[in-house]
Amino acid sequence: MAMIEAYGLTRKFGQITAVEDLSLEVGEGEVLGFLGPNGAGKTTTIRLLAGIISPTSGYAVVAGWRTDGIVEQLHEAIGLLTETPGFYDHLSARRNLEFYAGFYPSITITSQVEKYLKMMGLWERRDTKVGTFSKGMKQRLALARALVHEPKVLFLDEPTAGLDPEAAREVREMVKGLSREGRTIFLSTHNLAEAEFLCHRIAVVKTRLLALDTAENLRQRLFRRQIVVQLESLPGTVIEKVARLPFVRRVEPGEQRLLVELDDPEKNRPELVQRIVEAGGRVMAISEEKHSLEEVYLSLVRENGP
Amino acid sequence: MTGRRLSNILRKEWRVLASDLNNILLVTLLPLLILGELILMIWLISRFGGEAIANNPFFKGALEKLVATLSSTADLPASDLVRILLITQFNFFFLLIPTMIAMNSAAFSIVEEKTSHSLEPLLATPVRTWELLLGKALSGAIPALLISWLCAGLFLIGIAGIGWGYLLTCAINPSWFITLFLLTPAVAALSFLLGVIGSSRAKDARSAQNLALFIIFPVFGLIAVQVTGVVWFSPLLTFVLGLAICLIDLLVLRVAVRLFQRESIIIKWR
Repeated sequence: MAMIEAYGLTRKFGQITAVEDLSLEVGEGEVLGFLGPNGAGKTTTIRLLAGIISPTSGYAVVAGWRTDGIVEQLHEAIGLLTETPGFYDHLSARRNLEFYAGFYPSITITSQVEKYLKMMGLWERRDTKVGTFSKGMKQRLALARALVHEPKVLFLDEPTAGLDPEAAREVREMVKGLSREGRTIFLSTHNLAEAEFLCHRIAVVKTRLLALDTAENLRQRLFRRQIVVQLESLPGTVIEKVARLPFVRRVEPGEQRLLVELDDPEKNRPELVQRIVEAGGRVMAISEEKHSLEEVYLSLVRENGP
Repeated sequence: MTGRRLSNILRKEWRVLASDLNNILLVTLLPLLILGELILMIWLISRFGGEAIANNPFFKGALEKLVATLSSTADLPASDLVRILLITQFNFFFLLIPTMIAMNSAAFSIVEEKTSHSLEPLLATPVRTWELLLGKALSGAIPALLISWLCAGLFLIGIAGIGWGYLLTCAINPSWFITLFLLTPAVAALSFLLGVIGSSRAKDARSAQNLALFIIFPVFGLIAVQVTGVVWFSPLLTFVLGLAICLIDLLVLRVAVRLFQRESIIIKWR
């Protein structure tokens, strides 16, 4: 069942098109990574899907509710972590959370606030003014705020932006935990490693949707799989013999190693090793060279102009 | 549900108010200063200008209207009539208290949410725009109103303190009650709603405060009209004025909701 559906979603600000013809579906319990350069329309998309702004054309349905209609029911079903999480600095963490929780009729405020302050490791600091919190603590509190009413769908806009590595890791672990609970998560991020670690599928956007698939499929779609063969030494006969094999598309010799592009790596790999040995090569190791998600991302973004 | 959301907003706003000493001083000290000034002004005018007022043809008309409205004043000497006139004519000064508090606190209500980036998460909750704006306006208007009533009580004590206690039975008339319990709440709500509108349209805190300055002009106009006696505010006229401002409150709330454009506030404010 799709929890997020967008159909031709477009948003213009005057002459500028921030989001163009975005269509996608996110299933229940799925974590979708939303990647794109600055100004690609990531935050605008989140605002459109969260019913905070209206589309110029197209529409979206989130948790069964149209996002361009009366949004009260939609807002009961979603949680939003904004890019810059703001709080009432003079109030304590507990009071802040109680305030936001107070808008949802279906929850018991006290127990929910306690549950999420404990989950985010802030229970001991519950009566401390938020103004004294570190950025990481504020981010965890913002996550608690997004979750306090048990939303089915979570929109996370750059949840680890500006955090130190330790705090970022903590937040990532929490998001991973939420994903294990089966929540649908729409995660906008610049951090490609984070997207790969957390997301089932990845959408690359630059105003328009450039690609939407698993990280692995995106890699395969853009780059051929390559085998790296480490050799004790690299005689010329080995290179010649390998290059003549019918299933080999390309050979790139390096220092004591061969980079080989195969038709079907799983099927062709044993025969490749056999031929190298027959040609006098001594194979030390064999592995597959993986393109990073960064390469995939950059390739997609550059392909689609400045 | 609306009641729960409104009380949630009120609780939060009052907690924020209570957490800042400057806010508390603004809400309490400023009205007390206005009150002290008012009592001093009445005493000074009566002490040094009472006779002149009694003999001034312009004020003579006002004194005649006073006697016609309050039959119990008919047998009082001219000096006492002037005192009662001063006490009753300065009624509208109590309208200044909520207005001045609104100028500050309401003006910052939405701007502060914008600058602290707490508005977007708030707009992602099921709160309706009118609930948010009304909650913001009431959170300031209610304490301002309570302070106004407290000041009215202190005013009476102050008047008794300067030795005019015997006049209070005449001064506390139906107009006094209507002003205090209908007109002041209506003006308080209006001031805070206008302040919230200014705050939601302002680009920053400074311009919010500049916009809020306009709230005070109509109140000054009312005070001037009453004090100079241009219009004699009989109980009926005061009542009608109070009702009219209540209706204006509803209209202004509608306008406030229309002017509060969630989208442009969120998009333009970074």
